[in-house]
Amino acid sequence: MNERPMTSAPVETDDELLLRMQSGDEEAFLTLYRRRQAGLFRFALHMSGSMPVAEDVTQEVFLALLREDCGYAPDRGTLSGYLFGIARKLVLRHLDRGRLDVVLDTDSDDFAQPELAVLDDPLLDLTRREGIDALRRAVQALPRRYREVVVLCDLEEVDYADAAVALGCPIGTVRSRLHRARGLLLEKLHQERNPRQALGTLKPVRCV
Amino acid sequence: MNCQEFWNTIPELGDCESSRHLLECPACAARMSRHRELEAGFRAVAAGFRRVEAPPRVEARLRSAFRRQTGSESRAPSRRWIPVVTWAAAFAAMFALAAFLVRDRQPEAARPPVQRTIELAMLQPQADYDGFIPLPNSAGVAADDAADGDDVNLVRVEVPRSAMIALGLDVSADREEELVEADILLGSNGIARAVRFLD
Ligand SMILES: [Zn+2]
Repeated sequence: MNERPMTSAPVETDDELLLRMQSGDEEAFLTLYRRRQAGLFRFALHMSGSMPVAEDVTQEVFLALLREDCGYAPDRGTLSGYLFGIARKLVLRHLDRGRLDVVLDTDSDDFAQPELAVLDDPLLDLTRREGIDALRRAVQALPRRYREVVVLCDLEEVDYADAAVALGCPIGTVRSRLHRARGLLLEKLHQERNPRQALGTLKPVRCV
Repeated sequence: MNCQEFWNTIPELGDCESSRHLLECPACAARMSRHRELEAGFRAVAAGFRRVEAPPRVEARLRSAFRRQTGSESRAPSRRWIPVVTWAAAFAAMFALAAFLVRDRQPEAARPPVQRTIELAMLQPQADYDGFIPLPNSAGVAADDAADGDDVNLVRVEVPRSAMIALGLDVSADREEELVEADILLGSNGIARAVRFLD
């Protein structure tokens, strides 16, 4: 009889690690940290454009988790979403303090969604160096509320439920902001490709 | 399905009706193609950042913080040893330690490891001095201070691991740049007397 080789122990969930961590288990804390730090670091980096800020934010997130009154409630969402939520608050605080971004965040969610014109010319190839750089710049230039949702959902592939926890808004808002953000990015990239074409000349497209 | 309904179904695309709309509506098909390009772009950006993560020093600091919090640090500071938190004191400590390290840099390869434990217990019998490495002249200073009934301050700072080498401790070359927490014992005159690495 062929025995299957012993499989490794099931991976502990974040909540299990958190419980062990709270009872003083350093290894559990470090496992949790190693599992979640990179995504949080990159989120803070994409949001702030600053390595020192990203480092500071990542550290502060886990220091906050060490506090007894850290405020995490499993019934309100995952630990991952909660950690991104702390990271977001810290990043926004940094941005407010240092005016690290100059984009005015005046757009509201109910801002009319402009339909993109059907344009014959292609976008930059977004999978090549030039296109990737252009996309990164465009993401960095988004107003915060759109940048954060793009970074979370499109770059870090956080699911909508976790993103909603992190952003403190309903899932429907995550969807609509994401939709709007992608539209803004496409506009921006199109402008970059066609600098002479003013935004105002884009004609709304309608079909029924 | 009209265009509005089609876009409202994003991202749950893939059902028959959505597919049919794409076939029938060139405008939405073109717009959809842009979105697909954008998604490929997101994947490319994310791939470029896949290896980006927090530097190792963040984990080291958090580990120290965890140990402090859980009291698993064997040398839990007594009430008297609550770190001096003013920046002025921290800078004074860094300056004092740096002055010592710079002065004593050259013969570090030949210097035997420092294993003595400073005998400051006479100064503050209730305090915990385990693991402190005396800096030059510290014993004399300690004795003088004891005679004067002088007090000492403890300041916690972060220093590069290379500082440990200067004190005769082993540090692998690839970790010299890392930061390590250290307790520095300062006399009332601001002179660093002893250092203890929290590692
Ligand atoms: Zn359509």
